[in-house]
Amino acid sequence: MSNQNIWFVTGASKGLGLTLVKRLLSEGYKVAATSRNINELENAVGVTSDAFLPLAVNIKSEESVQEAIAKTISTFGKIDVVVNNAGYGMLGGLEETTDQEARDNFDVNVFGSLNIIRKVLPYLRAQQSGHIINISSIGGFVGGYPGFGIYCATKFAVNGFSEALDAEVKPFGIKVTIVEPGYFRTNFLSEGSLITPKNAIDAYQNVRDSQNLHQNQMDQQQAGDPEKAAAAMIKIANQPDAPLNLFLGADAYQLAHQKIASVQNDLETWKELTTSTGF
Amino acid sequence: MDNKKVWFITGASKGFGLSLVKQLLDAGQLVAATSRNQQELVAAVGSNSADFLPLQVDLVNESSVSLALQHTYETFGRIDVVINNAGYGIGGAIEELTDAETRAAFDVNVFATLNVIRFVMPYLRKQRSGHIINIASIAGITGGTGWAVYAAAKSAVIGLSEVLALDVKALGIKVTVVSPGAFRTSFLTADSLTVTQNPIAEYEDVRHSHCKYLSMNGQQAGDPEKAAASIINVVYEENPPLRLLLGGDAYNRALTKLDGLYNEIHEWENTTCATDF
Repeated sequence: MSNQNIWFVTGASKGLGLTLVKRLLSEGYKVAATSRNINELENAVGVTSDAFLPLAVNIKSEESVQEAIAKTISTFGKIDVVVNNAGYGMLGGLEETTDQEARDNFDVNVFGSLNIIRKVLPYLRAQQSGHIINISSIGGFVGGYPGFGIYCATKFAVNGFSEALDAEVKPFGIKVTIVEPGYFRTNFLSEGSLITPKNAIDAYQNVRDSQNLHQNQMDQQQAGDPEKAAAAMIKIANQPDAPLNLFLGADAYQLAHQKIASVQNDLETWKELTTSTGF
Repeated sequence: MDNKKVWFITGASKGFGLSLVKQLLDAGQLVAATSRNQQELVAAVGSNSADFLPLQVDLVNESSVSLALQHTYETFGRIDVVINNAGYGIGGAIEELTDAETRAAFDVNVFATLNVIRFVMPYLRKQRSGHIINIASIAGITGGTGWAVYAAAKSAVIGLSEVLALDVKALGIKVTVVSPGAFRTSFLTADSLTVTQNPIAEYEDVRHSHCKYLSMNGQQAGDPEKAAASIINVVYEENPPLRLLLGGDAYNRALTKLDGLYNEIHEWENTTCATDF
């Protein structure tokens, strides 16, 4: 780990992204950070320094992303660690969620990250180094969260493309890590951050129960410390042996284990049917 | 298959969809089937039976989906099993595929499935019964070089299926997500598989992977007729699986993935478990 590394962090005006950026700057790293709103970002970070490059970026726009990456390169000369952190939660039954609401969540959580990856890779391939860290969720591996169907779909997608990306860019000396946090005490569950559908349907009582649990009981009671999550990410960045999957939090650790055991169990239970389909 | 059910199957003019429709009609079931091209569908299925309702549907269009389901309900009086089978493969490094190509793959593989679920649920909730079967892929469990976007789309299908199962269980509705390995369908032909139009020379491993897959066309170990029979079988199980893999290759790849992940989780346990307050 060298604090000469240049970081590029998306969604940096709050949550884990903000915590990470502040910590990086205090440890002497150079950081380009993006947000839709540059004033909000500058106020939140509260640092004026040559080491900090705040960028107003619409990650849904390839042009905006391209510009931000080019500006980071022209300012700092290179990019070593890319953190695709921008994203938000969505809680609603699939029937309750409109096509547009679903697409909005994918726009940020999936297509936004792919835009960044697409536009940063030419630089990383040219320098034959770099580390892409995609912030997923325990909900990207475990679908056991009532009402989080679209959100889990977006995060499963992140896990899916990250695993393939890792194989794709390994020949160029580029690393990929999927960070899968459990519940951390950020604004993730707070009003304005967690989106719920405009047209709720009464029949989905368990979805409302899940919404109530998350918004009214769990928000700001989460066990995970965002500072420690940021420290873990800084620790693994650019390590030669960095993991492809990094779960964060004792809850995520437990749930990942349970999911593996449960899928293994399903595989054995249905093995005969599964393996009876060859010619 | 003693009792008659009403089936709604998307992407039915070829592949698994076509095998399913033919087997079900042979077994005397009532089948509504969708395709972008109704003529192609009718010609492929080759049945004039009143048990068969061929529908021309644009799955990415909500009103087209809504109409097709309404038509099915009005024709057969209920909808018991929905099979979200329509989809296609997309190959290319992430960097080689445009935003538009990526979104187009999600349109059919993910958003179309969500459209069908959104518009069929009112009927299933009213009946307090039904079985939604989403066809994913082993690529949704373990993604390989050159197939990142396809892996992402199919992973998304698995994710939304796992949650949907929880959300609709109390309403009497079942969910199964099927992840097939390699089957001898038309999947690896130009009609079903899109590859990048802008290859970047440096991605040699991606080119090798694509060559390897395409040379497998016609040699795949999996028999689509047996896959279709297995999918039909799970509908008649008292406790059908949430996750069903199809093919020895899928089984082995999934186990290898889980073993690797298990080891990685243990190796990084100290880092993982040190982040609570």
